[in-house]
Amino acid sequence: MPDIIICPSCGENNLPDQEFCQYCQTRLQPLTGPLKGADAPIKPGQVPTKKNTAELEPILPQWLRDARDLARKDDQQAAQENLQQPAQSQPASSAKDLLAGLQSQAGDVKESDLPDWLASITGVISKSTKSQTESSDFRWVELGDKNDFAKDESAELSSDEPQPDEKDEVRDWFRNLGSSEQTQQPEQPESIENSFSGSSASDTPDLLRTIGGQEETANSADSADYSETGLGEPPTGIISESLKSTESATSANELPDWLSSDATIPPSTAVEDEPTAMEDVPFDDIEDESEAAALQSPSYTIFEEKSLEPAQEEHPLGWLDTFQPVSAHQPETPIEQADFTPLDFTEDSQVSDNLDELFIDIPDGLSSASEVPRSSIPTADTDSEVIAPDDLPSWVEAMRPVDHGISQLSSQTLESGGALAGLAGVLPAAAGFAPMSKPNAYSIKSQASEEQQAQAALLEQMLTAETAPVPMASFSVLRTSRRLRWFLTFTIFIMIAIPLFLRTQMFSLPVGIPLAVNGALQVAQSIPEDAPVLVAFDYEPARVGEMEAAAAPMFDQMILLRHPHLTFISTNETGAILVERFISGPLAVHNYQSGIQYLNLGYLPGGQIGIRAFAQNPQITAPFDMSFSAAWDSAPLEGVNSLSQFAALIVVTDNADAARTWIEQTESARGGIPFVVISSAQAAPMIQPYYESQQISGLVSGLYGGALFEQYNAGRPGTARSYWDAFSLGMLLAMALVLGGGLWNFSLGLRDRAAAWEAQ
Amino acid sequence: MRVLTAVIAIAAGVLIAGGYFFPALTDVQTLLLNWAIILAGFATLVGIFNLIAVHTGKIRRGEKGSVYSALLFIALVATLFFGMILRPDHSTMKIVMNGIIIPTEAALMGMLTISLLYAAIRLLRRRADMMGIIFLVTAALLMLGSATLPFGNIPLIGTLLSPWVTQILALGGARGILIGVALGTLTAGLRVLFGADRPYGGT
Amino acid sequence: MVISLDLITSVISFLFTLLILSYLIGDNPLFRIAVYIFVGVSSGYVAAVAWWQVIMPRLIYPLVYGSVLERSFIAIPLLGALLILMKIFPRWAGLARIAMAFLVGAGAAVIIAGALIGTLIPQISATINAFDVNSASVRNISVVEVIFNGAFILAGTVFTLIYFHFGASPKADGSMRRLGLIETSAWVGRIFIGITLGTIFAGVFAAALTALIERISALINFFGNF
Repeated sequence: MPDIIICPSCGENNLPDQEFCQYCQTRLQPLTGPLKGADAPIKPGQVPTKKNTAELEPILPQWLRDARDLARKDDQQAAQENLQQPAQSQPASSAKDLLAGLQSQAGDVKESDLPDWLASITGVISKSTKSQTESSDFRWVELGDKNDFAKDESAELSSDEPQPDEKDEVRDWFRNLGSSEQTQQPEQPESIENSFSGSSASDTPDLLRTIGGQEETANSADSADYSETGLGEPPTGIISESLKSTESATSANELPDWLSSDATIPPSTAVEDEPTAMEDVPFDDIEDESEAAALQSPSYTIFEEKSLEPAQEEHPLGWLDTFQPVSAHQPETPIEQADFTPLDFTEDSQVSDNLDELFIDIPDGLSSASEVPRSSIPTADTDSEVIAPDDLPSWVEAMRPVDHGISQLSSQTLESGGALAGLAGVLPAAAGFAPMSKPNAYSIKSQASEEQQAQAALLEQMLTAETAPVPMASFSVLRTSRRLRWFLTFTIFIMIAIPLFLRTQMFSLPVGIPLAVNGALQVAQSIPEDAPVLVAFDYEPARVGEMEAAAAPMFDQMILLRHPHLTFISTNETGAILVERFISGPLAVHNYQSGIQYLNLGYLPGGQIGIRAFAQNPQITAPFDMSFSAAWDSAPLEGVNSLSQFAALIVVTDNADAARTWIEQTESARGGIPFVVISSAQAAPMIQPYYESQQISGLVSGLYGGALFEQYNAGRPGTARSYWDAFSLGMLLAMALVLGGGLWNFSLGLRDRAAAWEAQ
Repeated sequence: MRVLTAVIAIAAGVLIAGGYFFPALTDVQTLLLNWAIILAGFATLVGIFNLIAVHTGKIRRGEKGSVYSALLFIALVATLFFGMILRPDHSTMKIVMNGIIIPTEAALMGMLTISLLYAAIRLLRRRADMMGIIFLVTAALLMLGSATLPFGNIPLIGTLLSPWVTQILALGGARGILIGVALGTLTAGLRVLFGADRPYGGT
Repeated sequence: MVISLDLITSVISFLFTLLILSYLIGDNPLFRIAVYIFVGVSSGYVAAVAWWQVIMPRLIYPLVYGSVLERSFIAIPLLGALLILMKIFPRWAGLARIAMAFLVGAGAAVIIAGALIGTLIPQISATINAFDVNSASVRNISVVEVIFNGAFILAGTVFTLIYFHFGASPKADGSMRRLGLIETSAWVGRIFIGITLGTIFAGVFAAALTALIERISALINFFGNF
């Protein structure tokens, strides 16, 4: 989205013209100038590329260039002074101090190709008498090659330190940092201080003490995060590693005074870098110093167990022994390695799993330590209040590369505050590390307009109406009345069986022929002699009794009067054999012969598709009859090539859909030929509209229609007559039962509802 | 595959629909429809094969009611065997139709009489609203109008009221339903032709 | 002694009728036996019909005895038939979609044209023509009766259609209701639908009763033959 910039640190949206994030003060705009692009993150395992930053030297201020010159002059002297420094005073390449790396690099100065001014930077520092208030809050900056980085940093810093009296920005800044740390440092537990007062406290560099104090402050706010993520362990472990490794490259005397000063800073130890250990273990349970030390140095245990032992063997540096586990400092209370481990966070799988990753994520200056002695890794500190971005001097800001490719840094820790805000992968941190800045305040007030709120209310109202439970009318569960069922069965069977058994003909056939039946009668009487008639047999075997009773009178009369040639076809699989049954049953008296007076084209599959195909071109669609003979050469179909050449179309069906299909699909193909439907009584109501619309010429439905038709059949007795008494009795009985039983159940239902309402 | 099936369905539909309105496409329509007839016949066979597979599976697994499935399978195979040999119109096959299929179906249909009557009697016990009352009164009226007495039709009801209800009142409702069904059919068919609905599994 | 096919048919028919009607006293194994046998016999019969009246005359016969043109035309449905047969095999069932798509497309076209030509236009025209006073003389009824009947038919048609209109709009109280006019028309439409369904019910009952009469008559005739 081009209109906003997403902060790489906190993920908040910012306006495109903002240089810093309005939420976390992270730099948003990339740097320009020679350092542009230097902020590209280094991926794990990537070999740092050397960047030539010498071109920046001309832009250095005069005072810085003077400092460089002075540094060159004092190079030798500084080296000597550093050699005289006690090993214990060697700063543990503070985990927080940007300059700590310079020390580690200083050891390589003579071995590498660094310029003299950079090589002598530590000497200059050692000469200077910086107060502890000038302890830096710098951390590692990941910029190109370690030598380049050291070159840039040391060039500027060293130029500052030989001029302690100069009131420049750097000094003010450092002074403020120190004072702020002092004021923010909480009181350390007495027992801890005492436990390390003899050895660690005095030996620990002030920077580390500062870190400890700061860490303690931070952890008091969010110690749970540390304990969960084990954040306190790896940095210190790495510190110890770096301390050990630094020993191989730097002599103990190289520690500058300002780094080693411990006069005013409260005693602190590397243990203070491990707030988790301190918080997890009740202080009251710590009985002696050795135990406390063991508890406070679990990360050492991790480190030694997992990765540092080989490094120790390769780089047995003496001066770093002071930063070895407490046992090294207190030989009178040796602690076994196995005794260090019972703390929870030492077993933290997250830490152990990410241990390798931590080393991979070491900044370039440190990543090269895998080849050379490792330098110190600063502990994570995100106290952004200490250094606000606005307070930074311009040259420091210029050193802060702002990362654009945050997506590439998903696995790296991104600094969200302080001087390193915007840098990624600078500080090794365990996964899950979260910045400890104050949570941003977000307004929870809805910013929707009135119109939007009105629409939302309407939507909510609609949803409420949709989801509101609709009370259902409660009714008692009706159980099946077996007694009623048996009563009905017995009554119906008796009422039907008696007239059938007695063959009575008491009930008169219906009188008054309806128009629809009359139309069918007219068709049966008006077709030409020996004319071809197409008959579609589309009913189920279940209704064979009704359909034969309804259809037989019409066919009987038609055959009797006009001797038509019947061609049968069926869209029902069983229709073809029902045709044979019909011919050999009710119409047997006419002795119609297959292939002569009638033809059975058989089954026409496909439903509507088949009917349409047949209506469109019957010769192609149904070329054979049931006996697999060529149908259209036979006598019943002589001279017929299309549907419209039939004299009439009769559909015998028990299904309203079948009748509708025949009506619809033959509408355009049948022309003006008469079309009669003989249907079951159940299908008649839905076929009646087609008769009313004059799409069909006649309609005979059910036994009632058959009984009507039979009366015009020259008095010939038929099936309808034999069934009629039973049918009439059955219908009358059914009507009586429906009305009587319906009224009775209606009253019962009212009673049940009244009872239910009263109960409610 | 989805595109292919949609293209086939739409193309076939358009060509066949065109045959109704453009005489030039009549032959194409006939050809395509006859192809569809063959496919429909095969679909019937596939359905029966599925029935066989289901019941043989039940028999193989020995599920509850597998005896009935065995009976079904035996009856099916035997009928199919004789039907393939003798043809369905053979007189022996008429025994199957007149002895088993017709009596069974007709008896099942006959039993529906009791069930319908039972349901009609109990209807108002559960649903005593206007719709139920109109439904039941109309049914009773037409039952009465369908029957006759020994001396002829039931006066007024059988000669006047029942035909008027059937041919006028019920006709209006039936026509409304038919038009509604036709509109629904039209919509459903157009959705298929436009590819919006793909009931053949193309969605 | 020669047993006629009619006698065999009558006996089997009698037995199956009794087995099915035994359901009236409750579900029982005899009823289930009859039903399962019926389903098996029906399926086998349908399969035989499909083979002899569809596959053989429409596919195999042209393929064997047809001309080159007929064979080439039959190749496509043959391929489609094979694709449909793939439904039997779950792994290849997807191929059947091609043939099913063709069937569905063809069916859609047929029902569209049929509904339009065969039902929609004619039925709407018939509803209008119900007021044709010229039909009075044909039907031998008065003009008033024509208009009276036509009004009922028109009202039944329109109100029934309106009943199936379920479009609704939200009310002030949040409920979803149809417009007042439509609601009233739908209420009238329910009356017509109730009448129509009552008519259909009476027809179904008449059909079922006829079937029962036919079966009982068959049972009586079976005994009467002896």
